[in-house]
Amino acid sequence: MSHGAKMKKKNNALKIFLQPIWSKNPINIQMLGICSALAVTVQLKTALVMALSMTFVVSCSSFMISLFRKQIPKNIRIIVELSVISTFVILTDEFLRAYFYDISKQLSVFVGLIITNCIVMGRAEAFALSNPPHLAFIDGIGNGFGYGSVLLAVAFIRELLGSGKCFGFQVVPDYLYSMGYENAGFMLLAPAAFIIIGLLIWLQKVLTKDGELNR
Amino acid sequence: MSDRMKTICFAFALCLVCSLLLTAASTGLKPLQVKNIQMDRKKNILLAIGLIDSRRIYQASEIDRLYKKNIFKYDTDQTGTIIDPSAAPEMAQDNLLPIYLAIDNNNKIISYIIPIETRGLWGKINGYLALQSDGSTIKGFTVYKHFETPGLGGEIEKKWFQKNFVGKKIVDQNNHFMSISIAKGRAADQVPEEKLPNYVDGISGATLTGQYLTKGLQKILSEYEPASVRFRQNLLQCRMQTDEPWCENEKEK
Repeated sequence: MSHGAKMKKKNNALKIFLQPIWSKNPINIQMLGICSALAVTVQLKTALVMALSMTFVVSCSSFMISLFRKQIPKNIRIIVELSVISTFVILTDEFLRAYFYDISKQLSVFVGLIITNCIVMGRAEAFALSNPPHLAFIDGIGNGFGYGSVLLAVAFIRELLGSGKCFGFQVVPDYLYSMGYENAGFMLLAPAAFIIIGLLIWLQKVLTKDGELNR
Repeated sequence: MSDRMKTICFAFALCLVCSLLLTAASTGLKPLQVKNIQMDRKKNILLAIGLIDSRRIYQASEIDRLYKKNIFKYDTDQTGTIIDPSAAPEMAQDNLLPIYLAIDNNNKIISYIIPIETRGLWGKINGYLALQSDGSTIKGFTVYKHFETPGLGGEIEKKWFQKNFVGKKIVDQNNHFMSISIAKGRAADQVPEEKLPNYVDGISGATLTGQYLTKGLQKILSEYEPASVRFRQNLLQCRMQTDEPWCENEKEK
């Protein structure tokens, strides 16, 4: 392989990793996985665990599906994808219940619901079935990070304004409270996440000047 | 090999690999999960009597220490008598009701805790109801396991709902047994003022969960009523027996 082709290949992998984090972000641009983004973003801790679980599931399942993409019979491919994804999701759930019981209790059904998260199925169908395993894995990591970064941004704003904390540590000083500052209880409710995600989408569209121009 | 055969073989192999993986994970992680669940129950008992704060994070060893120091499990028979753990075996086991006692350093019972297990809308609700040693005032209520809808009936596990139980009564104005009920919406809008001590605010959108919980608490509290009566009449006393306090009926002494 020539030096140029190698460089191109490297750039390609980097592009596959970076695209879902910014220009093709699964939440902000593709509007996928919003359900869980509303539910688990009250605190940074749950959002982080959810983001990591999601990254693990989407990268591993994309890798496995890509590895067997030539063997998977076309007529049962959706079922195969679903079995692989649910296996990884259940593994994650069991692991959390063994090592992070309190967090898994807070995440409740939402870890299990990663199975139905459109991002995972979407990447398996749209990317893993037609690309080699290492790229599919990178694509999965990129999408997990893209999803996770939005989750963490939303959770940061909600935890800071809603309970005056950051990762469970109080950051709003006591003297502000004694001066009459109050936490915005609205931030702890699901509609607040909806509004914040809307604002984030707006921000990204403004920054990239994308949106209407490219349509 | 025909395409159909290939498909069937692939599906079979996939199922085999996935199920083996899941079985291994499930059996391998089981001991840790069981330990977590036991720790969670202990934590909920301590939460019910207000010994720990739900907003703080505790180490497992800390929970264990607090539990060992303060909480003692006994059985009561149908007359509400606490069974001497050393003399219990000849009693039929299914007639006994488990009861947890919170005992302070001076061997005084500060609270007794009743395990709650009742039907909910989608499955069983498990929790603890702690009562003060006067036998009529609720000290706290917690839920550690349920299958209610998250955001609706699932709110029974939240502090805002559970803190409404604190200070409520399981007796009416004349000191007769009257179970605690979950109102439909705000209790103050629904029931006359003299009954307010027996009602807690309900969860909007979760009327059925509230009804099942009301029924379950009614049933369980009436089963434990003989024991509660003894507490109300202040008949129980504890003394230190070797390493563990032992409580019994003063009258019979």
